[in-house]
Amino acid sequence: MDFDPSANRVVGTARIPGAPAPKKAPVPVKIIVAGGFGVGKTTTVGAISEISPLTTEAEMTSESVGIDDPGQATMKTGTTVAMDFGVLTIDQTLKLYIFGTPGQTRFAFMWDDLVKGALGALVVVDTNRIDDCYPAVDYFERAGLPFVVGINTFNGQMSYSIDEVRWALAIREDVPVVSFDARFRASVRDALLVVLDQALDKAIRMKTS
Amino acid sequence: MTYPDPDAVPPARPGVRPFLQSGSKHSTGGYTPTGEHPPVEQSSNALRPFVITSGRTDGGDPDIGMETQVTVVAGSPPSRLSPETRAIVSLCEESPISVAEISARLRLHLGVTRILVGDLRATGQLDVHVLENDTPDPETIMRVIRGLRSIS
Repeated sequence: MDFDPSANRVVGTARIPGAPAPKKAPVPVKIIVAGGFGVGKTTTVGAISEISPLTTEAEMTSESVGIDDPGQATMKTGTTVAMDFGVLTIDQTLKLYIFGTPGQTRFAFMWDDLVKGALGALVVVDTNRIDDCYPAVDYFERAGLPFVVGINTFNGQMSYSIDEVRWALAIREDVPVVSFDARFRASVRDALLVVLDQALDKAIRMKTS
Repeated sequence: MTYPDPDAVPPARPGVRPFLQSGSKHSTGGYTPTGEHPPVEQSSNALRPFVITSGRTDGGDPDIGMETQVTVVAGSPPSRLSPETRAIVSLCEESPISVAEISARLRLHLGVTRILVGDLRATGQLDVHVLENDTPDPETIMRVIRGLRSIS
């Protein structure tokens, strides 16, 4: 086999439309699944992923946030957390990664890394503990990342209506709030499609502006 | 090997956003925020993985994301590799693989993986497929939408 340097010496993976695709790495895209403790993030990732969710250990540089109390000294600590993620192959040239992030703490942790290049986020909410998702909602609002609030109805019922949850979260009108069941693939798929709709809106806005 | 509970950290301080209902309606669902799940120990264990990166803990090249695809450079010169870097190279030989998958499959700390992948890129063993633009274009998003719609 002749070694064709051009096939492998790839600087970026941007594609020229119509060009024959040599054996290239697929373009990865990612969606973040965030939310508080035990709301079903890993279940969500597992339901849509074609592989059993994998876990990676990451160092979160946590800056204890002094927003509520600006006088408080900022403290930086390192905490190792486990992050679950899954993969869905769209086609040979496109792969969707779904990262479930631990995130009920108000830490300005490694999310900047995680969110860079992300299409959007699904914030999973358990209506019994709505405040667990505030940090995620706050973060995505500040970061300007399209997000959707997904109420996990894993016990088949919701303590509060979608409107009540919207009111409680005090989110903008254009942020969708949906209910879904993290155990079912089709339900997770539909929730992610709402995230992708938001992502598409933003991408089109950015392209035309 | 067990992984630390990702959520084993104290819950958010309430009050940023209004509670849905005040007081008793705010159930903890049996979750006890304190005591049972202390934060992961940070002292000695947190540092040990970085022995294999010669003490570098900066997380490596910021261009190398968790989902960044990595492939082997065909015909790259053989070089003396540590067990960890050899394992990374052999994983990448099968098919393009993401940094996060390398980390998970080799049970290497993500930060360590990023540093080692960066090293292997610098020595010409690996290609790191850094995307030219961070923000996905509408066409790519449409493809994801079509792909997702087709699954059941």
